[in-house]
Amino acid sequence: MRDVIVFVEHRGGQTRKVTFELATEARRLADALGGKAHAVVLGKGSESLAKSLQNYPLNAIHYTEDSDCDRFLLEPVVDYVEAVAKASGDAVVLVPNTMLGRDVAGRLVARLEAGITSDVTEICVENGRIGCVAPKLQGSTITTCAFKNTAYGIITVRPNAFAAAPQAIGAELIALSKPAGKSYSIAIENDVEEAAGEIGLEEAAVVVSGGRGLGGPEPFETLLRPLAEALGGAVGASRAAADAGWVPYSLQIGQTGKVVSPQLYIAVGISGAIQHKVGMQTAGTIVAINRDGTVPIGETADLLVVGDLFQIVPALTALVQEAKSAPA
Amino acid sequence: MKIVVTVKLVPDLAAAKRIDPSTKRLIRTGIDTVLNPFDEYAIEAALQLKEKLPDTTVTLFSMAPESSKETFRKALAMGADDAVVLSDPGLAGSDVWATSFAATQALRKIGFDLVLSGALSDDGNTGGVPGALAENLGVPGLTNVRKIEEIADGRIRAQRETDTGYQVVVGPLPAFVTVTMAVGEPRYASLKGIMGAKKKTIATLSLQELGIEKPVGSDGAKTEVLAIDPPKSREKARIVEAPDGATGAKAIFDFLRERKLV
Repeated sequence: MRDVIVFVEHRGGQTRKVTFELATEARRLADALGGKAHAVVLGKGSESLAKSLQNYPLNAIHYTEDSDCDRFLLEPVVDYVEAVAKASGDAVVLVPNTMLGRDVAGRLVARLEAGITSDVTEICVENGRIGCVAPKLQGSTITTCAFKNTAYGIITVRPNAFAAAPQAIGAELIALSKPAGKSYSIAIENDVEEAAGEIGLEEAAVVVSGGRGLGGPEPFETLLRPLAEALGGAVGASRAAADAGWVPYSLQIGQTGKVVSPQLYIAVGISGAIQHKVGMQTAGTIVAINRDGTVPIGETADLLVVGDLFQIVPALTALVQEAKSAPA
Repeated sequence: MKIVVTVKLVPDLAAAKRIDPSTKRLIRTGIDTVLNPFDEYAIEAALQLKEKLPDTTVTLFSMAPESSKETFRKALAMGADDAVVLSDPGLAGSDVWATSFAATQALRKIGFDLVLSGALSDDGNTGGVPGALAENLGVPGLTNVRKIEEIADGRIRAQRETDTGYQVVVGPLPAFVTVTMAVGEPRYASLKGIMGAKKKTIATLSLQELGIEKPVGSDGAKTEVLAIDPPKSREKARIVEAPDGATGAKAIFDFLRERKLV
């Protein structure tokens, strides 16, 4: 494997931070492998996004505005990525470990008879061979995997695990031509954005998360959201809060929800059972607020403050806002 | 309609896990295995369809050691009709590619109008197998479905979750559908169901019966494990008692300052 291909996830040309993380990592990998770094941008808004990706150290950015990519589920997208990979001959494809990224990755495994490693947090190259480091078995082990018996490797990369560093090197823009003779079976009748404008939970640098201790849906808006906004982060929740219907499941962090690795995770009124721990244990710094000093989150947290969250959170929000308006 | 639900056995979350240093595989003996929690939602979705659509059967399919066959009784007790287990020593060490390759042949042999699966598995957390299976089977794949709105005239309409909201999608059957937890809490087995499950068939298939010629298992896998390490351990938490909001907030604020996070 020599070339590195980044699948760019976006919506109408708006992309996520993880795209820039992947573009930066693609350069480093391509240099280590002696190949080129590519990106593939598909669907409405691709041309302008492709141009803005020229600020990153890629060799080539392949794009198409083909509206089929937005009208049909997945198949057109996979066709284009497959075509770019096959043109390259042998390559490693980086996709974000998100809902869409995982769907694309699974399809590519079959199309390219490829190996896959998922939720990767670190990539190394030794003697031309790629090693992918990822937490497995609910975070109880860290595995390093390599590819074999194949010309293609697919890596789903955990958002927030790699740094993004812009560097323009004059990436070539290449308009993709439509693969011939394709028909698509699943039509997208309606595409509804419910959380428009919010920072994605998986890529937020700060996550403020609430659990059973909040007692209802209101404190998520009145207490947690102001703190998250002051810290420039996103709001998450434990399964107990999602099961109670206080927040949508899309905010749930843990075994059956999202896995996040922010720089800072603040767990408010969350006891921190292992099902929750597996979704946040790789965060840089973990702070917990709980009225009970013996809760399991104490074993995962760096700081556990035992007290009344309804008093502590607003006071903390005020301190953060104050610090922001008058930098020390 | 014939529904097949693909299920996976995973090590119990609460169990301590050990890896065999020579094979770099999970030691599964002595560890309680349970149904992948995501797959229980797929069974629930299948049973909801069975209640609504006449002449619908639900078959469970898994790749698992012969010795763990009986674990599927619990799922049969929920209301599935029968189970088929692909069990073969040659499958040991299969990765996503090898698993989906072997399972594709088995699903073709079983036959289906609809395959249902959980969106993720709890141990490898790859989520790659359903996509690879749909691709190998050559059928449409509807992923992360939160509600099956309608199945009629050979077509399926469903709501699927996206990272920012949801989509309504429509496609032809046969199809491969992965479901999220929003389809509904898995039902408990009734006493009648538990008694009835004892009589249900759990059939086994081998690689030879499927006529699989490409190597699967660790020989056919496209990935290999180079190293296994324990996770970095964190230092014990600093614990601060906060008699009032201001004390607690200041303790956190100072801590974040110390770590340059504010």
